[in-house]
Amino acid sequence: MDDPYWFGQIAAANALSDVYAMGGVPKTAMNLVAFPAKDMDISVLRRIIEGGLDKMREAGVVLVGGHTVEDPELKYGLSVTGYIHPDRVLTKKNLKVGDRLILTKPLGTGIIATAIKGALASQEITDKVTRAMATLNKVTAEVMEDYPVHACTDITGFGFLGHLAEMVSGSGYGVRIKADSVPLYPEALEYAATGLVPAGAYRNREFRLFMVDFAPTVNRILQDVLFDPQTSGGLLICVAPEKAEDLLNALKAKGVQDAAIVGEVIAEPKERIIVE
Amino acid sequence: MSTELDCRGLACPAPVLQTKQKIEKENLSEINVIVDNQAAKENVSRFLGTQKFDVSVEQKGTDFYITGKRGTGATPSQPSAAPQSDSEKKKIMVMIATDRMGRGDDELGSKLLFNFLKTLKEMGPELWRLVFVNNGVKLAIEGAEALPVLKELEGEGVTILVCGTCLNHFNLLEKKKAGETTNMLDIVTAMQLADSVINI
Repeated sequence: MDDPYWFGQIAAANALSDVYAMGGVPKTAMNLVAFPAKDMDISVLRRIIEGGLDKMREAGVVLVGGHTVEDPELKYGLSVTGYIHPDRVLTKKNLKVGDRLILTKPLGTGIIATAIKGALASQEITDKVTRAMATLNKVTAEVMEDYPVHACTDITGFGFLGHLAEMVSGSGYGVRIKADSVPLYPEALEYAATGLVPAGAYRNREFRLFMVDFAPTVNRILQDVLFDPQTSGGLLICVAPEKAEDLLNALKAKGVQDAAIVGEVIAEPKERIIVE
Repeated sequence: MSTELDCRGLACPAPVLQTKQKIEKENLSEINVIVDNQAAKENVSRFLGTQKFDVSVEQKGTDFYITGKRGTGATPSQPSAAPQSDSEKKKIMVMIATDRMGRGDDELGSKLLFNFLKTLKEMGPELWRLVFVNNGVKLAIEGAEALPVLKELEGEGVTILVCGTCLNHFNLLEKKKAGETTNMLDIVTAMQLADSVINI
């Protein structure tokens, strides 16, 4: 991400996402900055912080301080604190057979970021994924509060299947994913086919492939998108089946347009992910 | 002409970008790329594959030696990017962005297009590539009337490219039965290499 203001927004959205994934409300944040003061103009740092601050305002979060260190590589993140009732904490665990899985943002941002690095991505898709990455999971978290959600996680560096694997491990159940219902950027398929796949996607695949059964119709390119590491990805929500459609409609009504039901929890085979 | 490219120590997408630059600049028939990680091996092999190279990989220690060859006697059905004996041969690319020919009556339009595809082989060896985009991709899927015609053309060495974004848009990725799934970069490259481009 070349634009420091957007970089700040995306980093903040990414950091706030963990609290949303737990069903909580973020309240305070501290800036954590590593900045190459010798090589980079200080105005860059200002724009980054402004981007982060704007996202905090949108989230209703107060900035209470921070740390800055000098470092050859620029880094920016937040340490976020939020509120949640102890009985309502959502974790990755607690799946129930029949639950539906809802994914709220399209996949492919890692592959598209690789294409952007190579100056091979169109302006249109660059703008589209930049906005998506800077979008908070706030609305999603607020909407799901009123529904029987059993588990939730946010999709980041391990990719969709990597984070799904964390949910499934130790649950005693399996999941079935309908590949063609998973929201993704078509451009990601296009770029993946030409070899613009980040190394992280291959590592994610190697790490979790033993848990996944791909149907022959799910080609290698699509598999790479399902393992693509995401920055500030959507939430993956596990909800009781009878309310899944209602939750989906409520999300869409609140502007979470790309959300889709992507699969369900099944009793057998245990702790496996079937993608068909 | 063959050339070697050392991409050790580089992270993705740099190896693919360097490979791309090299083959575009020098119109190579053979290229050897050295990389030192799995991701770069996979990505460079995939990229060379899309550029019609036959790819082989040899592991030496922790390095991978990727060899790509194209346009030689080994693959007579592949169009040659660096033709020797047939360098005089024209390359005609036909871009089909619809499943009907012309406007007016749709039924007539689809008959006409089918007939057009059947007759295309009369162009002979100058017919180089058929590219299907938008509604055109529906001609290359399971059950399409034109499918046997496309297969026949493919058998005669015509490269058929079908737009992946379009297949995905229509939910037809798995139904495609002829040609290779392609992307905009390939289509633009093909347009540039072609001597003439016919739009339908």
